[in-house]
Amino acid sequence: MRFLPILFTGITMLLSAAEPQPKAFPYAYQQHDFPNGLRLITVPTDYPNVVALYIVVQTGSRNEIEPGKSGFAHFFEHVMFRGTKNTPPGVYEKALKQMGAASNASTWDDRTIYHTAFSKEDLELIVRLEADRFQNLSYPEDVFRTEALAVLGEYNKSSADPSEKLNEVLYDTAFDKHTYKHTTIGFLKDIEDMPNQYAYSKTFFDRWYRPEYTTIIVVGDVSEAVTKPLVQKYWSQWQHGSYKADIPREPAHTKARRNHVDWPTDTLPMVVVAHRNSGYLDDVTDHAALDLIGQLGFSQNSDLYRKLVIEEQIVDSLGFSNFDNFDPNLFQVMARVKKPADMPRVEKEILAALETFRNTPVSAEKLEAVKQHFRYEFALRLNNSEAIASTLAHYVSLRRTPETINRIFERYAQVTPAELQRIARKYFVENERTTVTLTSKTKQ
Amino acid sequence: MTLRTTFMALLTATSLIAGKTIAQPGKSPLITFRVVFQTGAASDPKGKEGIASLTAAMLSDGGSKKMSYQQRIDALFPMAASINWNVDKEMTAFSAETHLDNLEKFYAIFREALLDPGWREDDLRRLKDDMINGLRISLRGNNDEELGKEVLYSTIYKGHPYEHHNVGRVAAIQSITLADLQQFYKANYTAANITIAVAGGYPADFVSRMEKDFAALPKGKSVKLKLPAPSAVKGRHLVLVEKQTRSVAFSFGFPISVKRGDPNFVPLLVAQSWLGQHRNSGVRLFDRIREKRGLNYGDYAYIEYFPQGMYRFEPEPNLARQQQIFQIWIRPVQPPTAHFALRLGIFELERLVREGMSEDDVAQTKNFLSKYVNLLTKTKSAELGYLIDSQFYGIPDYNSYLKSALSKVTRDEVNRAIRKHLTPQNMIIAVIGQNTAKLRDAIVQETASPMKYNSPKPDDILAEDKLVEKLKLNIPAASANIIKAETLFE
Repeated sequence: MRFLPILFTGITMLLSAAEPQPKAFPYAYQQHDFPNGLRLITVPTDYPNVVALYIVVQTGSRNEIEPGKSGFAHFFEHVMFRGTKNTPPGVYEKALKQMGAASNASTWDDRTIYHTAFSKEDLELIVRLEADRFQNLSYPEDVFRTEALAVLGEYNKSSADPSEKLNEVLYDTAFDKHTYKHTTIGFLKDIEDMPNQYAYSKTFFDRWYRPEYTTIIVVGDVSEAVTKPLVQKYWSQWQHGSYKADIPREPAHTKARRNHVDWPTDTLPMVVVAHRNSGYLDDVTDHAALDLIGQLGFSQNSDLYRKLVIEEQIVDSLGFSNFDNFDPNLFQVMARVKKPADMPRVEKEILAALETFRNTPVSAEKLEAVKQHFRYEFALRLNNSEAIASTLAHYVSLRRTPETINRIFERYAQVTPAELQRIARKYFVENERTTVTLTSKTKQ
Repeated sequence: MTLRTTFMALLTATSLIAGKTIAQPGKSPLITFRVVFQTGAASDPKGKEGIASLTAAMLSDGGSKKMSYQQRIDALFPMAASINWNVDKEMTAFSAETHLDNLEKFYAIFREALLDPGWREDDLRRLKDDMINGLRISLRGNNDEELGKEVLYSTIYKGHPYEHHNVGRVAAIQSITLADLQQFYKANYTAANITIAVAGGYPADFVSRMEKDFAALPKGKSVKLKLPAPSAVKGRHLVLVEKQTRSVAFSFGFPISVKRGDPNFVPLLVAQSWLGQHRNSGVRLFDRIREKRGLNYGDYAYIEYFPQGMYRFEPEPNLARQQQIFQIWIRPVQPPTAHFALRLGIFELERLVREGMSEDDVAQTKNFLSKYVNLLTKTKSAELGYLIDSQFYGIPDYNSYLKSALSKVTRDEVNRAIRKHLTPQNMIIAVIGQNTAKLRDAIVQETASPMKYNSPKPDDILAEDKLVEKLKLNIPAASANIIKAETLFE
């Protein structure tokens, strides 16, 4: 969940700098706001028959402000499949099955997304079923308690993976006040307590499952002339809410932090060096510049990758992340090292590479290659209606409009070598650094 | 929209023979490539297990004669393109996608990668490390679910060309030389073994140019691998893999003599889909094990190889095989409920064999599959991959094949196929867990495994639990072996 693809990047056509930039999001779309605050975005495509319906709710683990409730947004995603008075779970499943629909959901720091792909003739039924569960969700306590165990099963299934643990410890170390301190799945002790939180689940639903936090995205063989009346018919009775959460701000840190994970079984050592980043911003260049630095410094074609992975072969995996988060999160560089003895050296190399961005401007040519990479990567990503809907859902969870894609790509285009250097100096500061290492107990 | 009809005509005339081209010209600025060789891990020589994968990796993730690997990365980076490889038992696939703007530049790199490998010692060293770490760390160490599946496969196929993991064995990988790889490449990467598939808005002469370029490969002979039948599984056998871990993962199954194109494939697919359609919440195992009892995150059934199921909703294409197994995947459970969960999975399989499927369930599942199949080929790359697989199996394109067969299949045929091919009394059960000796003893001694729930359960579930908690698994001590995780894939 934490390691979602972050770099939604690029545009479909390349033009020289003298020509006006085409829109990064190449599809015409319609956006409509209903009086209750619900937003509908319709994107007709040329892909025949199939329609993808994505419902974005702007609540995620960031919204879990009360102690002991980490992981609740994700748990609630599970509960949303537990039916209504009109449509018990069996009936819902049967209807989806008859449609041959693929339906699922995902939760992350800042949002929860429910998605279904189906044939266009089933659009009304899907819109109706979704409207029903968003407005009339109803589940008995015994069912709720059983579902909590499935979440524990979800934690268990990934628990053999040390990168999950590394991630959990990184965020717990890097944040004191902000809710990014916990991962989306939540702390194990909170997961184990979930069966006892039936009453809280009603509060959670009442607070966050409201039209003003929700956007419906419909992509594929459709038009707004079809989608708008259907959404009007089934969703307009939904009541606007009144709750606003006060998400705590993370104060400035006064010194660098460090933590270590002892992994019980054989694994390769790992190191992650993280700095507080800007969060997703489409009106200034900070976030765009950090994305570009990540690619320049730590992707497959970076100098560091060449040195450590290809030439010296002491690292088998090197990468970075600068996720699109609502609030400032972490710019991370992660390496998996072949021998424990090389760990200090690799950490130093990562720090040195970050330092270089502060001190030396990159070549304009290299910067242009990354911008080009972003544009083509984005274009190649949009290769079916579901992919378009899922890409849009990601951005809509941040700014509630596809326009933000065009804006972030304008920011990429604006970044110069001097701007990169300014941003590197602003964010790669020692006080805001968190380093976590992981080594196997069996190999020490 | 496509040349599907031309291809279909071609198939009718010459199905099953490799060496054909699938061209799907269109308007899309995204050009999709799939180049598949009919060779794979089942062709690894004894003692050199891993050579098929290492060869493909050297082509894809190593340099060509003209370009070092680093130079290739630098050239591909601005195009956001990459060359992906996948090796299964009988197929080796290279896939890629590029924007039309970059087609010529990309194709020159792609062609050189496949036709003029660089065979550099430093690439070999790096890729061997990757493969060995992939087996020891990523699979054996960090992914209990995939480990359970691979242990099930290697146990079922003991002594068979399918036995070893597609990536090979550690000691064998270490022994592979550049000369070994060159020899394997020369013998297996032949014009007779290749299928080229391309889709998108490419220029009119592009495909014929590509065919001409790839005709430079040695001619070779298209010979389908002759495989022995896997040893018959007699009775139930338990393989417990001991490692330090939080929970207990299960995969169990047996070989089946059914593959795409066989008369019983679609009937059996209906049964499998009803019992445990992958990542689908409306199905039997999921409903009984997770939804009603909260034992884990999910429970599924398969009649074809489906690796990486924990990350994927749909299977990768180009994993076509002459031989398949039936398997059930029980995702990790809490150790105190492990014995019960295994019993419940087997209970459901035995019930399916005993009672068959109802008319209504068959009708609903047929309907589901006939629509769901569209989602399998939602990308061009998947569509091309499925077409290549259809060549392998000698069937029309998968969507038409499945829809046509589904429209005819009857409840009787489904239930006959279930009775004929599903043999829960003879199967291998792979278990990944900690303190497995305790679990083994409980299983072998048929100890009762009553469930305790955190909430009241309906009477029908409690009544069923009474049967499940003492279900006899009939596994003698001699058929229940514990192996240490660190010995696997070495």
